[in-house]
Amino acid sequence: MLESLLVLLALVAGAAAGAWFGRRSARGRTDAVAVHRDALRFQDSVGELASTIAPVWANQIASSRSQMEDAVGAVTAEFGQIVENLDTVLASSSAALEDGRGGGALERGRHRLGNVVSTLDDALRSKRAALGDLERLLELNQELKQMTAEVAQIAAQTNLLALNASIEAARAGAAGAGFGIVALEVRQLADRSFQTSERMAQRVDGIGSAITSTLSRAEGDAEREGVAVARANAEVSEVLDDLDVVFSGLRHSSDELERAAVGIRGGVSQAIVNLQFQDRIGQVLGHVKDSIEQLPVLVDRAEPDATGIRRPLDGQRLLGDLTAAYTMHQERDAQHAGVAAAVPESEITFF
Amino acid sequence: MSKTILVVDDSASVRQVVTIALRGAGYEVLAATDGQDALRQLDGRRVHLIVSDVNMPNMDGITLVGEVKKLPAYKFTPIIMLTTESQEEKKRQAQAAGAKAWVTKPFQPAQMLAAVQKLIAP
Repeated sequence: MLESLLVLLALVAGAAAGAWFGRRSARGRTDAVAVHRDALRFQDSVGELASTIAPVWANQIASSRSQMEDAVGAVTAEFGQIVENLDTVLASSSAALEDGRGGGALERGRHRLGNVVSTLDDALRSKRAALGDLERLLELNQELKQMTAEVAQIAAQTNLLALNASIEAARAGAAGAGFGIVALEVRQLADRSFQTSERMAQRVDGIGSAITSTLSRAEGDAEREGVAVARANAEVSEVLDDLDVVFSGLRHSSDELERAAVGIRGGVSQAIVNLQFQDRIGQVLGHVKDSIEQLPVLVDRAEPDATGIRRPLDGQRLLGDLTAAYTMHQERDAQHAGVAAAVPESEITFF
Repeated sequence: MSKTILVVDDSASVRQVVTIALRGAGYEVLAATDGQDALRQLDGRRVHLIVSDVNMPNMDGITLVGEVKKLPAYKFTPIIMLTTESQEEKKRQAQAAGAKAWVTKPFQPAQMLAAVQKLIAP
């Protein structure tokens, strides 16, 4: 019974196992076909992906690279123009300031105006010297007046002597007749001398009045001119001092502007230097773009086997080509670390 | 009369930077975008020095040096290589081709000017 039961169980189990294995075998064939179909579909999708998206990536990179190069080139040109303009302004400003510092326009103006004032002073001094001469002339005229008075007095005394001589001649009688005639003549000469001395006195008085009047007028003029020259001198000094203050302010302002312009020029020049990053980034993007463009080629090169399945993609070859294209240490560093090393200082080697 | 320098680089910004540095020192500057363009610019002109990039499309800088040295008028014209290239082998190739100096980017304008003035006066 038990044996019959075991046999039955064995038969049932065998039948069940046979049925299970049969079903499994059929399902295995179906699964393999599905897997193969999925693999083909996947590899087609990989090929399609590579042929469709890779060119787009490459184009986008090329477009971005081109836009960046145009923009950076334009910015560099603008910065270059700014530097050139600043150089022109600085050169012009320096020339003007040098002129101002080294006995320039203001000092030349002060010197020339000083000459004008000095000429006026000389003219005034000359006029005062002429006034001194006039005063001396007046003194001489006084002496002439005194001399004229003395001549008149001598004439009067001579007249008196001649009168006495005539009396004595008359007293002498016939013997004194000749002497009386001489005495008369002397008396007449004394009269004429007196008359002449009176006319001289009148002329000397006239000359004295004229000199006094001229001297008085000239002294008034000299006084006014002296005041005018002194005022002009003071005005010129004040104007020049004002201008000096203005020029000093301008120089100070110009110095500050120059310092600011030099600072800006240095900053812009350094910015121009830094814009060389575009060249490095452009090269990196160019290498990446070339590598991306190789992706569909790599897929095409993976030949299918008898079942239609392509051989594995040679990613190492693509990576090798990319690495071989590197020109900078930064590219190699970035490949492994994801961050480029600091850009080294420029080096110059002469052969 | 100022000396003329030809700057060869496919990067517009680098051409600008070199031009600014050299013009400021009184040099006249011409620009070319690659080796072929440079050879066209040299034809019929008097150029006293060439500053060239190494890696460029159409014709690279080292090939350009070789081609320039074949031209009788430019056989002794000094050439400065200006590059991001870090491979020593490329440097040796440039020297063998006839370049006079090797300057790495990014450069300071004063350095470039010093290199140029060592080879030619303004």
